[in-house]
Amino acid sequence: MTTRTVRRSRGPLFLLAMPLAWSLAVFDLFVVGWMALSSLKTTREVVHDPWGLPAQLQWGNYAEAWTSAAFGEGVLNSLLLVTGSGLGTILLAAPAAYVLSRFRWRLSGPVTVLFAMGLGIPGPAIMIPIYLGLDRMGLIDSLTGLLIVYIATNLPFSVFFLTAFFASLPRELEEAAALDGSGPYHTYWRVMLPLTRSGLIALFILQAIGDWGETFFALSFLREQKTISLTLLNFVQTMQYTGARWSVLFAGICIVVIPLLLLYLWMSSRLIEGIAAGYGK
Amino acid sequence: MAVRLLERTPARPAVRREGVGPFEAARRRMIGPFLLPALVCYTLVMIVPSVFTVWISFNDWAGAGPMEWAGLGNYTEMVADPVFGRSFANTMKILFGVGAAVFVIAFVLTMLLQDMAGRKFVRAVVFFPSLVPGLVIAILWGFLLDPDGLATSVLKSLGVPDPPLWLAPENMFTTVMAGMTWLAAGTYTVIFMAAADRIPRTFYEAAELDGASAARRFWHITVPLTWDVIGVCAVLWAIGALKTFEFVLVFAGAAGSLPPTDLWTFSVYAYAGAFPSDGVPRYGIASAAAVLTMVLTVVLTLLVRRVMGRRERTDY
Repeated sequence: MTTRTVRRSRGPLFLLAMPLAWSLAVFDLFVVGWMALSSLKTTREVVHDPWGLPAQLQWGNYAEAWTSAAFGEGVLNSLLLVTGSGLGTILLAAPAAYVLSRFRWRLSGPVTVLFAMGLGIPGPAIMIPIYLGLDRMGLIDSLTGLLIVYIATNLPFSVFFLTAFFASLPRELEEAAALDGSGPYHTYWRVMLPLTRSGLIALFILQAIGDWGETFFALSFLREQKTISLTLLNFVQTMQYTGARWSVLFAGICIVVIPLLLLYLWMSSRLIEGIAAGYGK
Repeated sequence: MAVRLLERTPARPAVRREGVGPFEAARRRMIGPFLLPALVCYTLVMIVPSVFTVWISFNDWAGAGPMEWAGLGNYTEMVADPVFGRSFANTMKILFGVGAAVFVIAFVLTMLLQDMAGRKFVRAVVFFPSLVPGLVIAILWGFLLDPDGLATSVLKSLGVPDPPLWLAPENMFTTVMAGMTWLAAGTYTVIFMAAADRIPRTFYEAAELDGASAARRFWHITVPLTWDVIGVCAVLWAIGALKTFEFVLVFAGAAGSLPPTDLWTFSVYAYAGAFPSDGVPRYGIASAAAVLTMVLTVVLTLLVRRVMGRRERTDY
């Protein structure tokens, strides 16, 4: 698509809309850059000179956010949750998607639909009963409780997403493995699962993106424990009383956003490859 | 059933029906251990609570103490509530208004980026907003659009005498919608582009030789051949839009509690019933709003399937 594109005929619509694509990209980059820069300024600079460069880089903002605004604790808790729910969901969803997509049996259709129905269940619709259930088990204000909720609510999308991957693998693979004397568990573990690796990675990243800043369930089921989103929310709310500390807030925002950006930059080609296969066909 | 669209029916069944030999028998025995953990977890945390929510919605209940049977009382009271009317209107505006904007932008970007220099770069960048938690976006927007904030100062320096008051009550919801559009457009662009990339390039080359413009190539090749992905995205958007919650909550409610009722959506309405800023929780009303959301999801999914699903699948 190099030499060929140059010759390609371009209508007026194309020329008109072209700046749109670029301005959107430039705007996004600008926001990220501005955010990062603001986190290194003093509050006074953030407010009075929002476009300027900081006179001196205020790395102390990060220290202050990490300790006095308690972002450190939030980051650790959220890391635990993201890793736990990512691995837990895949551990449960991959085998289920495998038997649902590769085995023909009486209930595979209805069970697949049952899982898909979960995509349409909004958080508020199940929040009250879950709250009561967790309360009874003493899991309110507990990361374990929240982890269970994250894993379960990730399942519908994960099963849906992974079903596509398993369905796309050729049947001959399983037959060949069986002929070579591989049992069904061995076939799954050593042949089929490794072939869906790009899907598993994409799924893990998508879940990490979703769970890292998740607010609704965290807000509903935690009290003293804080995830990263609750720390941020809490900080914004206390700013009313303590006065605007924009510098620290921006440092906090960067603490939330930068890990996601790095994860994305590191994994973006894998993610896009996975999305392509997961949504298609 | 409702969510049929999301069920993938392969063009050719991936598994042929066979007599149950030892191979099949051994495979069948793994269905239980493979499926049950996920099924049990999902049922306990999502299905059972949903059913319970339906039950609560027919009762008056403050969480503590006994439930009191109310029949359809919660529903009639909810429908008569003007705040609910506004929440309903807002949710619909997000669903259709923002939805249309998001899909148009995503289409245009997909079309443009198909043969543009630097497409990988732009694609990577437009996905950024989807990475950032809604909470953070909401805080950033609040700061940017504050009457003394950046956006106003930029417009003033460009010579606009009276920049719009984005955060004034009458404009706030529009601002929220613009924010949501920005947030979602990148995600769908990436998905559409991924789907469009699977189309063989020869189709485009042939069309080009026949003199088809970029727009025509997009309309006659890309759209039909990615139709199933567009359908899945339409359903996912509808589901997501009906669930809109934290963006509104934080964007407007950074002041500490719930946002002004002008901005409420279904989910905020349900949340406010369960965690009111004053007084006793009203789980009955909250559950009724949640049940309505679920019903609407089912209806919309069916509708999208009806509209989108009638086309022949194209194999290439």
